[in-house]
Amino acid sequence: MSATLSRRRLLGWAAAGGLAATGLLGGCASGPAGAATWSMWSNSPDEGKVWADFSTYVERRLGVPSVPTLTPSDGYPTKLDLQLVSGTASLVTAVNGWLVPTYAARGAHRPLDDLIAGDPSLDVGDFYPATRAISSFGGRTYAIGFDVAPTVLYYNSSLFAQHGIAPPSPTEPMSWAAFRELAIEFSRPENQYGFTCAPNIDDLVSWIYCAGGNVMNQAQTLSTLGAPEAMAGLDFVVGLFARDRATPPIKNLVTENPLANFLQGNVAFMQNGPWQVVNARKATFDWDIVPFPAGPAGSTPRVSGSSFAVPAGTSERDLPLAWALLKTLTSTGALDIYGRAGRNNPARRSAGTAFRPPPANLGIVQRILAGELAGGHPFDVTTNWYQIRQLLAQDLPRSLLGQVPVRDAVAALTPRLDVLMSQHQDNVRLAAQRRR
Amino acid sequence: MTVQTTAGPSGPSQRPPDPPPRWRDRDRQTLAAWLFLLPSLVGFAVFTAGPVLAAGVVSLLDWNLFSPPAFAGPRNFARLAGDATFWSALGNTAYFTFASVPLTIVVSLALALLLNQGLRRMAVFRSLLLLPYATITVAVAFVWVWLYIPHGGLVNTVLSAFGIDGPAWLVSERWAMPALIAMSVWKGFGFGMVVFLAGLAAIPGQLYEAARIDGCGPWQSFRRITLPMLSPSVFFVVVTAIIASFQVFDQALVMTNGGPAWQTTTLVMYIYRTAFENYDQGYAAAQSLVLFAFIAVITVIQFRLQRRLVHYDH
Repeated sequence: MSATLSRRRLLGWAAAGGLAATGLLGGCASGPAGAATWSMWSNSPDEGKVWADFSTYVERRLGVPSVPTLTPSDGYPTKLDLQLVSGTASLVTAVNGWLVPTYAARGAHRPLDDLIAGDPSLDVGDFYPATRAISSFGGRTYAIGFDVAPTVLYYNSSLFAQHGIAPPSPTEPMSWAAFRELAIEFSRPENQYGFTCAPNIDDLVSWIYCAGGNVMNQAQTLSTLGAPEAMAGLDFVVGLFARDRATPPIKNLVTENPLANFLQGNVAFMQNGPWQVVNARKATFDWDIVPFPAGPAGSTPRVSGSSFAVPAGTSERDLPLAWALLKTLTSTGALDIYGRAGRNNPARRSAGTAFRPPPANLGIVQRILAGELAGGHPFDVTTNWYQIRQLLAQDLPRSLLGQVPVRDAVAALTPRLDVLMSQHQDNVRLAAQRRR
Repeated sequence: MTVQTTAGPSGPSQRPPDPPPRWRDRDRQTLAAWLFLLPSLVGFAVFTAGPVLAAGVVSLLDWNLFSPPAFAGPRNFARLAGDATFWSALGNTAYFTFASVPLTIVVSLALALLLNQGLRRMAVFRSLLLLPYATITVAVAFVWVWLYIPHGGLVNTVLSAFGIDGPAWLVSERWAMPALIAMSVWKGFGFGMVVFLAGLAAIPGQLYEAARIDGCGPWQSFRRITLPMLSPSVFFVVVTAIIASFQVFDQALVMTNGGPAWQTTTLVMYIYRTAFENYDQGYAAAQSLVLFAFIAVITVIQFRLQRRLVHYDH
């Protein structure tokens, strides 16, 4: 056999390689015919295991191959966009609650009301009201929830014991005054802090809600960040950062991570969702969760979640399988898998008993969602929330850093926020026209 | 003995002149040339010219990716006039470019001159100094995020040794952009250094010798010989560095996400957000074309200036 490579042979191999690559890429675009394809974000091997179990469950229930497409959460929206636009999206796609209006207004996902109405086997009442609110836009349901949770307060019980301070009530939300007092007290020793949260609107909004305010008015036509209620909430949390110095210093606005701060063991309280329980279990100290501190409007922090939706481009032929898959992925059996893996925020009441402590007070999440204690406020977002988030991420942290008084920061950004509100209204109008 | 040499019928001096190439030969050569150029041309058409043309079309549309596009005419370009964020992003990009490019050139040239002194193991030094350039920007950016940590970060620790209380670099409105520029200079000097080293190696040694005989000192030699002879390399590095700087994105996204208060939001970052976070494809395409125009104008100006400032040794 000749060891030399002729040009003709090289070209032949290149052509064959090209054809093979084209075939492979074509194969990547969609799963095999009749397969239950679905996409989800996944950031760790542990999460991957949960979705692998989901996949096995889907195959057992539907009797067809299950093909999950897992993508790290940072790149998930971009990949989903490209798949939706190119018509290569899975039959069912996971969507973060705050993006439901964004996709719905652009006609990317299919309304599900007709499918829900025609299928008595789906027990809509089993889903928490908050998840239904999060999954809707313009009075229509665009997704079915698989997880939902209020923001809660994590506390380092070892640090409390060390300071000889009684831990907070497991069910009764602290008042803001009591919370602030404790946060300041824990910040007295050097290199110890009272509180940590992310310096972005996703976390700041809980304080605004608890003060009775909101980012926008109910009609979503104007910004209300400058209203007294919202200002009270912002002023309180900004004070913890800039006045009371009760928080770890902000090193970087991009990589600031409250969980990493809390896991250091020198922070008394962390504001976060119960979805971090599974990660907080790595802590080398004792900790638990309690309801979010109650402001003038009570303990009504942000309630957020994620859902599964069906792309608008799904053909009539594929729709029955897509709907069956959607129901399976959000069924009690599937969410029990989720709960057993330590994800303590399934969207259905019937799946709420699957998870087990630690921490001891884990059960408050379901009690809050069921309205038995404290409270919550569904995350109010617009069809252009990306832009609003970006605007607020640029201007509000200046106040947390003590560079600009919060009143000035809000006054400066309000005109631009109002423009974005008006653009949101345009999106809503266009979406309504498209529906007609 | 006399040797008579007689060229045979096939000797070179007797060979009849080559006949003019027949059309068929020339066609074959042309075809071969095109075939060699084809992969590059296809790549250029698909990945450069095509998208530029497509951007021109998309800039005239209202298109959110999901719904059918609607004709918008020049409206997307008109929107630019009243978009404060766009102009602020353009200003930030210009600040970045006109600070980082001269600094990169100075550092690259200084290191190239140093390495050109006949150091032992120059190849090792050259490789080490080229490493930042060869490293992925995102990875470098993450390392610099750690260097810039206000309390305990390497930069402020070094500054504190000199009694300087360093700022919170990446969250300070005043210092965030200089911090990005410093990182970018460190990341980018390797490329210029290698180009300058190649340029320095091509300068004939006798020029320096003649200058020394004429009584020129090192500074005069540098000004009168090195710089003029190196000017084509400088021109090349300046043009490529300015184009790259106008497209700065990765480090700003990773290190500051455009903040604080839009101070490090660059034009490409704003275009990306407009297209893929705000789903405003037409407006993003209009912004891209304006950026393209800016780069084109600056490059044309540079080419005009090179006629006077760049010396080619023909």
